Amino acid sequence: MAETAVKEKEPLIGFGKTERRLLTDPLNDNNPITVQVLGICSALAVTSLVYPAVVMAIAVTLVTAFSNLFTSMLRQYIPKSVRMIVQLVIIATLVTIVELILKYFNYPIYKQLSVYIGLIITNCIVMGRLEAFAMANKPWRSFLDGIGNGLGYGAILIIVAIIREIFGKGSLFAGSPIELKIIGPTADYLINTTQSALFGWYTNNNLMVLPAAAMFIIGILIWIQRSYNSKLVDVS
Amino acid sequence: MDRNSSTYILGFVFILTASVAVALTGLREVTNEKAIQNEDIFNKRAILSALEGELPDGKTVDQLSDADVAAVFAAMEQPVIDMQGNVVEGEKAENIDLAQERKKPEADRHLPVYIYENGGEKFYILSVRGKGLWDEIWGTVVLKSDLNTISGVAFDHKGETPGLGAEIKDNPAFRGQFKGKQIYENGNYVSIKVRKGGAQNEQHEVDAISGSTVTSDGVTEMLYRGIKYYEPYLKNLQ
Amino acid sequence: MEFINVFIKTAFIENLVLSYFLGMCSYLAVSKSVKTAFGLGMAVIFVLGITMPINWLINEYLLSEKGLFGIDLTFLRFILFIATIAAMVQLVEMVVEKFSPALYAALGIFLPLITVNCAILGGSLFMISRELSLSNSVAFGLGGGFGWFLAIIAIAAIREKIRYSNVPPALRGLGMAFILTGLMGIAFMSLMGIDPAAFASK
Repeated sequence: MAETAVKEKEPLIGFGKTERRLLTDPLNDNNPITVQVLGICSALAVTSLVYPAVVMAIAVTLVTAFSNLFTSMLRQYIPKSVRMIVQLVIIATLVTIVELILKYFNYPIYKQLSVYIGLIITNCIVMGRLEAFAMANKPWRSFLDGIGNGLGYGAILIIVAIIREIFGKGSLFAGSPIELKIIGPTADYLINTTQSALFGWYTNNNLMVLPAAAMFIIGILIWIQRSYNSKLVDVS
Repeated sequence: MDRNSSTYILGFVFILTASVAVALTGLREVTNEKAIQNEDIFNKRAILSALEGELPDGKTVDQLSDADVAAVFAAMEQPVIDMQGNVVEGEKAENIDLAQERKKPEADRHLPVYIYENGGEKFYILSVRGKGLWDEIWGTVVLKSDLNTISGVAFDHKGETPGLGAEIKDNPAFRGQFKGKQIYENGNYVSIKVRKGGAQNEQHEVDAISGSTVTSDGVTEMLYRGIKYYEPYLKNLQ
Repeated sequence: MEFINVFIKTAFIENLVLSYFLGMCSYLAVSKSVKTAFGLGMAVIFVLGITMPINWLINEYLLSEKGLFGIDLTFLRFILFIATIAAMVQLVEMVVEKFSPALYAALGIFLPLITVNCAILGGSLFMISRELSLSNSVAFGLGGGFGWFLAIIAIAAIREKIRYSNVPPALRGLGMAFILTGLMGIAFMSLMGIDPAAFASK
């Protein structure tokens, strides 16, 4: 498992079997959301549209990767008694950097994500990975572990967002330069429900816009994943 | 060195926070100017979204570049009026923050007006602000040169429920209904009503969004009171 | 009576867990039995109620332009808020341990968990974005904490019972907890009909 400190001699920067596992494990077997139950907090509220979800996924991946890297570099110098505060300061700094950068490059998306950018700090994935991995491993592997977990988290976020946006709004990537209008009641949609004989009955599902929809979708994703991957089934 | 001594801990924390503070202050200094500019353009775009269909070259707000937005605002006449409808000298509409004005006593408030011209026709852009279900809602109302017919509206909100109240902003069909409605009937001020269960009056009512009674009532109230504030000014213009 | 208004709104209608997903991690991890859920819930009310006014003061008197330094330092908000929260949690832990060993035995193990509970930081950030006053931020803290408490007690009670039901194996545990939370979220939406202003006028 990725949790245990790697004993074999590890190169400063290398890319072997262990490194690959660090990246791919979190996508399925050790997914931060569906298996480790971390980081659900801050981010599900941004899954009603795909574009903010993608930005959020990138932001979380960067923060996890770099906070893992820095913590791992400092791990021998951090005093035990203030460990938590030091980790939080590192994370909060990275999140502030992300916020400043977003304000600079993409103000509308900054507005849309609002307080949820700040909440990356308490996203349990970041803290969880620092404790479970970065405090016991060398920088390069910690960095990869951060990227892997960020991506595993982002994957779930984007899957949920795609389902919610298509059925809730009838579009994809709304608000971004590559907005796709799929199904709706005006002529600029791919399927125009007022004209189409086949889809005349269709309206957007308002449930998908509500927060509860994200819960149902994740519940069902977990169901599907565990049906295929029986070693993850909860025995209790 | 003893890593558990108070000196070490204090020193470590001090060096860490100092370096972090320096790094962040530096980054903020570099990005701040552009960030403020971005915010300005963002707010201006929100106002222009009520002008949909009347913008230069028939573009939508999203198609305008930042420079275009700034140019549109530079070309507009931007008077600021007081509650008696008189123009306040030396003030510019884009410097008025309606949220701050709302905290003042009613008689002392100043209101922004933007006058936009497209193809020889004048459009009067008014700003309104009120309360929704949870928090403040605000909007922009564009009147045609007859000072009666609505050319377009845009709304925004601080915290309405996604999928319900938030639809005043997200749902273009809701906003679209306002086009062509009139605020006066035979010279009497009636404003626009958001009616639950469907509009009954073609000229002064629009359909509410289902499941958002309080937000809809908030919009009705905001429009009624907000446009009324401009009435003395509109009377002066006629 | 804006205080009551804000309290009712944050506790019932805009529940931190059910409509903003705040504090989901510990909500799902510590909701297997009502007893532990109760302990964690109490700790959250406590810490939210303390940290929100403190962060309000920090924001108003240290970070804002009107504050001590006269310059806009709000970009340092995240760091200061989370440091305050971590420090307060540690302080509370020490005080409780010293003066009430019984309470410490009940709450103690949960306190460190709370620092990374998104509901705590989330409360402070919402307070800023909504421009609450000091007294309203106390109401928001207590109300938000109470709402969180209610939600975790309810899900823990349901999870205790559902253990005897015939749930498909792959859905057992976590999967079911998510779906239950979604259903609870919809149930809480029916409280939207409450008009907080009606309480305030009485």
